[in-house]
Amino acid sequence: MTGCPRIESGSVELYFYDELEQVERASMARHLASCGECRQALDELTTIRAALASRPIVSAPLGEDWTGFMTRLKAAVAIDQRESAAHGPVGRRGGESHPPSPGATAGRSAFDAMAGRSAVSTVAPYLAMAALLALVTMSVAYVARTGWGRERGRTATPAPAPVARADVAATASPEAERGTVEAAFAALSEQHFERSKLVVLGLTSKDAQHARLEDWEYERQLASSLLTDTRLYRAAAEERGMTSIANVMRDLELVLLQTSLAAHSGPDDLAQIQRLIDRRDLVTKMELAAGI
Amino acid sequence: MVDLELVTRAASGDQAAFQALVERHRSMVYRVAFQFAGNHYDAEDIAQEVFIKVYRSLDRFRQDAQLTSWLYRIVMNACIDHRRRQRASVVAPFGEEAEQRMLNTPEEQPGPEDRAYAGEIGEVLEGEVRRLPEGQRIVFVMRHHQGLKLAEIAEALGLAEGTVKRQLHAAIHRLRRTLASANVSAGERA
Repeated sequence: MTGCPRIESGSVELYFYDELEQVERASMARHLASCGECRQALDELTTIRAALASRPIVSAPLGEDWTGFMTRLKAAVAIDQRESAAHGPVGRRGGESHPPSPGATAGRSAFDAMAGRSAVSTVAPYLAMAALLALVTMSVAYVARTGWGRERGRTATPAPAPVARADVAATASPEAERGTVEAAFAALSEQHFERSKLVVLGLTSKDAQHARLEDWEYERQLASSLLTDTRLYRAAAEERGMTSIANVMRDLELVLLQTSLAAHSGPDDLAQIQRLIDRRDLVTKMELAAGI
Repeated sequence: MVDLELVTRAASGDQAAFQALVERHRSMVYRVAFQFAGNHYDAEDIAQEVFIKVYRSLDRFRQDAQLTSWLYRIVMNACIDHRRRQRASVVAPFGEEAEQRMLNTPEEQPGPEDRAYAGEIGEVLEGEVRRLPEGQRIVFVMRHHQGLKLAEIAEALGLAEGTVKRQLHAAIHRLRRTLASANVSAGERA
């Protein structure tokens, strides 16, 4: 098949793809007139082109539906933005050297609309603040009701006596109160991870190739119900600088988001979510976070 | 709005500009990713990765560069990274040693003989394209399917043009061999 040196040198395919200079091309054309081997190679290339051209061109996800793709991309970009912000200003992502253009706010809304989601990012700061306030209140009430810190013995601060919430601010020092709240928050996070593991482990145990939509309907519904809480926990953890919990919550949020927004009933979505769980090592992280 | 303006706006935080960039180029990115990966699962993963990388690198895009060349380079690197993760092995995609390894990579699957029959040569060849070593496959997809010139491929991938030529030659050699086998097989069945 490769006796002629012009075939060995690649001249035939360069001729075929019109990559030769004019002089070389003319020389190759003359050679082809007298070399059956090269003519056969050229014919084969023509056959290969025709055969491959007969194959369907795939340039969009299944069903030509970009919705799921754009939603996942938006979620990934949002997480990337958060991670960049958490790690301080770096180039564009710091947002200091390049102030947002006048169209940036409108653009964000357009991107949200494109992804079929509400403009969560525009209210995220308020959500975070509200979540923090709510969780602090819940945490203090939880500690006051159960005396959790003393029983678990995890907090370095003295365990508070079960007192009414109104008394806490008046009796505890700011440091002790902070420690107590953080310990309680960690406990609440642990409970949230336990609930969420039902979804994550349920998803990983499914056979992505054969699972039907109804086979993971329970996980999808549970994911939807847990998503808002996860977002609030993550925002509150970030606000308090509890980085370990915040990072796991962020990964969990992405998995829950993708699960609750799964657009197709085929195996694509489930397989992608399983890969995401695997890549992020989410099960292990949740187990470790539960011990924080 | 031209690409460069969209990149500039997106780099300054304009999400609508980034959306427009994604919508303008996602079909091309997906097409290349699918041609490389051969299935929707991986094509979508690769395309996602490409646009996340684009997003992260907007401020590093050189104003004098071609956006499509830049995108191709990101797509191809994403394809290579994806393949590498799948194989869970560390393989440098380019460079002289890697190139030799690619050129000498044996066929991984049973040959096309068992599958080939008249009318399905395209499918057989498509399968063979997917079995090509990474370097050959990338160059072949860019030249044959995307219609890029060898010089453009070399620029996009940061390679010498001679390296690109050798990768293309190796890919063509293998496809011709596959075609010959498929024809023989089809002839035997006829």
